[in-house]
Amino acid sequence: MSTKDGSLGRRTFMRGALATAVALPLAGTLASCAAPSGNSSSSSSGAKKSSDNPFGLSETASIEAVIFNGGYGYDYVQYAAKQVQKKFGKTTIKVSPSTQIAQELQPRFVGGNPPDLIDNSGAGAIGFNTITDQLETLDDVFEADNYEGTKISDTLYPAVKDPGTYSGKFVALNYVMTVYAVWYSASLFDENGWTAPKTWDETLDLGSKAKAKGKYLFVWGKEAASYYLTMALDSAIKEGGKEVRLALENLEKNAWSQKPLMDVFKALETAVKNGFFVPGGAGTQFTAAQAKWSNDEQAILYPSGGWIENEMKKATKSGFKMTGAPEPTVSDSPTMPYESLRSAAGEPFIVPSQGKSPAGGKEILRAMLSKEAATNFSKTKLAPTIVKGLVPDDGFGSTALVSQTKMLDAAGDNVFNYQFYDYYGMNTDALVVWNSFLSGKLDATGLSQGMQKISDKVANDSSVKKLKVTD
Amino acid sequence: MTSTTTTPGGLERPAVRRRRRKLTFDRVSFMAVFLILPLAIFVIFVISPFVQALYYSLTDWTGFSPTMDFVGLSNYVKLFGDDIFLHALRNNVLLAVVVPFVTIVLALAISVMITIGGPSKGMIRGLKGSSFYRVISFFPYTVPAIVIGLIWAEVYDPSAGLLNGVLTGLGLKGFADFPWLGDTRTAMPVSMFVIVWSFVGFYTVLFVAAIKGVPAETLEAARLDGAGRLRMAVSIVIPQIRDNVQTAYIYLGIAALDAFVYMQAMNPGGGPDNSTLTMSQELFTVAFRKGQFGYATAMGVVLAAVTLLFAAVVFTVSRLTAGRDVPRAASVRRAEAAAPLAKESRA
Repeated sequence: MSTKDGSLGRRTFMRGALATAVALPLAGTLASCAAPSGNSSSSSSGAKKSSDNPFGLSETASIEAVIFNGGYGYDYVQYAAKQVQKKFGKTTIKVSPSTQIAQELQPRFVGGNPPDLIDNSGAGAIGFNTITDQLETLDDVFEADNYEGTKISDTLYPAVKDPGTYSGKFVALNYVMTVYAVWYSASLFDENGWTAPKTWDETLDLGSKAKAKGKYLFVWGKEAASYYLTMALDSAIKEGGKEVRLALENLEKNAWSQKPLMDVFKALETAVKNGFFVPGGAGTQFTAAQAKWSNDEQAILYPSGGWIENEMKKATKSGFKMTGAPEPTVSDSPTMPYESLRSAAGEPFIVPSQGKSPAGGKEILRAMLSKEAATNFSKTKLAPTIVKGLVPDDGFGSTALVSQTKMLDAAGDNVFNYQFYDYYGMNTDALVVWNSFLSGKLDATGLSQGMQKISDKVANDSSVKKLKVTD
Repeated sequence: MTSTTTTPGGLERPAVRRRRRKLTFDRVSFMAVFLILPLAIFVIFVISPFVQALYYSLTDWTGFSPTMDFVGLSNYVKLFGDDIFLHALRNNVLLAVVVPFVTIVLALAISVMITIGGPSKGMIRGLKGSSFYRVISFFPYTVPAIVIGLIWAEVYDPSAGLLNGVLTGLGLKGFADFPWLGDTRTAMPVSMFVIVWSFVGFYTVLFVAAIKGVPAETLEAARLDGAGRLRMAVSIVIPQIRDNVQTAYIYLGIAALDAFVYMQAMNPGGGPDNSTLTMSQELFTVAFRKGQFGYATAMGVVLAAVTLLFAAVVFTVSRLTAGRDVPRAASVRRAEAAAPLAKESRA
């Protein structure tokens, strides 16, 4: 109204604008996080437990599942949900997809009304160190009979409980069997008379041979530089045995400068120095990098988990014959045989205790572990589940699936896994170090120091709940 | 409805001016709509989250539990010993220094060319086809930030990217497979370029509008006095649109202190050797990947403090360089003095 006080009005306006402007970033970053409020848990009084209804699921329960919608989609859970519905006619089941599990479910955990079943996977997964206390133990799922009437624990691969067991509590049922290996094109290798390398010397040798043909040995992408970390750790653990792994798991002081690990780092350093890596990986998106291996055949080897076939389905050269081999070892006589594998069940399914119907969550898991649902999964996703013996010899037409089953059979009991990396959420920090290393900016010593620093930071942080790994 | 109540109020006003005014329906409803409601919204949605955030930053809340322990200032102590966070803080400061400066210089240059950069004879006007340039320069702003980030990430791709394609096509073989976003020397500059690129258009339009408000007489008078286009831009236009520049500086600074979307799209991991990591990215990682919401909130508080500090610095610098109202008053006086001259010359 008063136009004559122009300067005053403007000053006030500026002050207001400033206040608003300052409020924006803060409010945006913080206020969007849900705040804790009252804690109301209500679990419906279940029905009587029986061998046919091992968790006492009430006939009229409504069950909610939130499933990570990544490489495997979420239709396989819907498939299992239909089986539950067939058995328990009056239940209602809602299966919804999500790609940002942590952001989406954080307010529900705080509010005390989480869904009954969650596939806590993907880049946006909830760190297990924060929610372990709020989860149901799932031992009774493995004790129950499956829908075909066999005890579930008798139908599974060994050690499938391990990756979901935190400080002795089995809270996450990992459904998909993931094998970590080095992948190559069998047709390309046959053509050139190459074989998958068993030691690092052979690997470097193969690198020179590939170079002679104008090809590279490895390729990496910026978001997946840590795949080489996985390969290095696996290789070192095979070489040095359990002690190497335990030191890393328990965040020990010199864990990252153990000899087997340094040997592997040095071999990798030589590979980097000799130009065996496709250059520019630190600036390349990882699927684009992977396509240089699967489609352009610029690189001949790629370390990854078994999901690689499904992930690169649309960018794989026809007749590629994707095949996996165990990671190379340092010497000819490693502590664990060459065939040993890091294999862990992946896709952790969790059942929050505060959900409306934890029994319902467990019942869906039981259905997923039945022969029918598990076979459906392998057939449609070309990946083995933790239920063994369901992949036929032709692997539903997938060479990668066949080689995964073969590697698992050859490894037998020599299967290991480690949890510290994902448990403490080290990936973001480790990627930085590994991108530098693979670009040739860090040497093996620098790499080892960089990783030790990340490990020490967690070890010295008293607010982080630590894992205790003894076996 | 209101007309009945305003009449008596209007009549009585002179008598009660210096005493407490009667709470008529008119006044109450006015206060409710224009004071209490906005204030309530402000308190509920702005102030209370602030206070809450301050409290959480003093706890060890994991983000997924309804309970938390009070840990005092230990999050802040940890924060200032956290090399990754401090690195991110340095990156943000660098962004806040470079991005607003470059953007504003570019936007000013373009807007001056569009408005007064035209022929030095006849009416003060911009370059030929200036409206076309104005529209073109606004284009990047119409594209969402995330899309801009993803597109540029592809442009910078070492082997399949447009940039290296053009450079190697020109015969610069050294750029084959050069990772623009993956090299510590280039990651930050090229990321800054993208942010500047996306903002220039908007601030050009803003400055064009402001320059249009500068009286033509002033400019004409200056021209009569023999000022060239550069001189007019520096001595007349910029002082006259000083407030706009200052506002732009603060907004750009806040955008640069955040920069989350661009950085997350181009280098989600924080870039080579964390060279493009921002505080907001680190906050996000700590909160959702590591489950340390209390610690992340402390980062948010520091981010807010840095933002406030930045605004304070801009205000102070602006005040120190000639004081806020002086140039305007001076230029107005100058304009008034020059006005008759301008009129005469036109006649």
